[in-house]
Amino acid sequence: MSIGIEFISALIGLILTLLIFSYLIGDSPLFRIAVYLFIGVSSGYAAAVVWHYVLIPKLFQPLAALDPFALIPLVFGISLFTKFSPRISWIGNFAMAVLVGVGAAAAIGGALLGTLIPQFQAATGAFDLSSAAGAVNPAFALLEGTVMFFGTVLTLAAFHFSAGRAADGTPKRPRLVEGLAWVGRIFIAITLGVLFAGVYMAALTAMIERLSSIINFISQLTGL
Amino acid sequence: MRVVTAALAIATGIIVLLGYFFPPLEPLRLTLVNWAIAIAGMAVLVGIFNLVAVQMEKIRSRQKGSVYGAVLVISLAATFVFGALVWGPENFYLRLLVVEAIIVPVEAALMAILAVTLIYASIRLLRRRVDVMSVVFLAVALLFLFLVVPTPFGPVPGDQALLQFLGMFSRGGARGLLIGIALGTLLTGLRVLFGVDRPYGGN
Repeated sequence: MSIGIEFISALIGLILTLLIFSYLIGDSPLFRIAVYLFIGVSSGYAAAVVWHYVLIPKLFQPLAALDPFALIPLVFGISLFTKFSPRISWIGNFAMAVLVGVGAAAAIGGALLGTLIPQFQAATGAFDLSSAAGAVNPAFALLEGTVMFFGTVLTLAAFHFSAGRAADGTPKRPRLVEGLAWVGRIFIAITLGVLFAGVYMAALTAMIERLSSIINFISQLTGL
Repeated sequence: MRVVTAALAIATGIIVLLGYFFPPLEPLRLTLVNWAIAIAGMAVLVGIFNLVAVQMEKIRSRQKGSVYGAVLVISLAATFVFGALVWGPENFYLRLLVVEAIIVPVEAALMAILAVTLIYASIRLLRRRVDVMSVVFLAVALLFLFLVVPTPFGPVPGDQALLQFLGMFSRGGARGLLIGIALGTLLTGLRVLFGVDRPYGGN
């Protein structure tokens, strides 16, 4: 391996990996240096990306083209820096209001058009007999749709927190809702179990990748 | 002032929302969204500036751990100067020295540590709380791993049928969770648009 920029890059990666792995022995200054370096570099890189791909095209280029409307986001953006001074921080509230208003509308649109409508369509579409007939095993397709539909409803029932009052005055859900919620929690436990296994496999893959990169670097360095 | 900020949030929110459904409002919606993106970009810079200010204060007052703060500030400043002002984020050397040498290896190593901590957390879960939910949770996780991870003897017989059976239940639960999250998002957004919640400092 020749000593070039790639070698330096791989060496830094190797050292940082070992510093991070030192956490397995215990929290140490070596681990902290690696983490603080990571936060600093990531933040700097994020700022550079925002500068190049957001501020230059959306703010500075319209300003350079003498677009008067570009002054509005510029003024709002600069007003955010008043948040550092408690005395005049109210000036930044206007920019925050625009951000929150647009964000809320985008969230409503996204939730409605991106999740609720497609998920409801998929949940009810499983009972479409014409499409089930085209499946390899129509009976299983219908069973799958039914289980998933009940799983969806029971999971939502697990988050049903309207409660009446028991004889001793404590809040208590109706017995039927309590039973449905219990089954719903079983569905949630199964879902989270599968998600946990997925995350664990991703973590295991990352560990294998890091260990193999260490072995590759050493073997290339030693020529073995 | 509180009324003005609330009116601003509600007006921008309603225009953007209506822009989704009424095509004549589309240009106005896009303008407002572009403004919000630019303001959000400035907000990111304000947040990073705040991070630097906090660390600088730690260094100035010689608090415990100020050395780490110095590492953070120097690395942040160097990356920003080279990434934004000198080279640009897509530059070959910057990607090699920042993304491939620091960001990717540290992220992957932290993820790798997660493999160990997740095992530890699973053992602790069974020690501290043994009930139906935690047993189902761990049993499903183990079964799923057993079916998916390659074994020295090849695939487990009937693994695809078992995975399909397990997926039936997990997808139902996942759909319920997704719909629940979307309903919560919808409700929170509507509360902001009706002025019930004012997280922009309008009380």
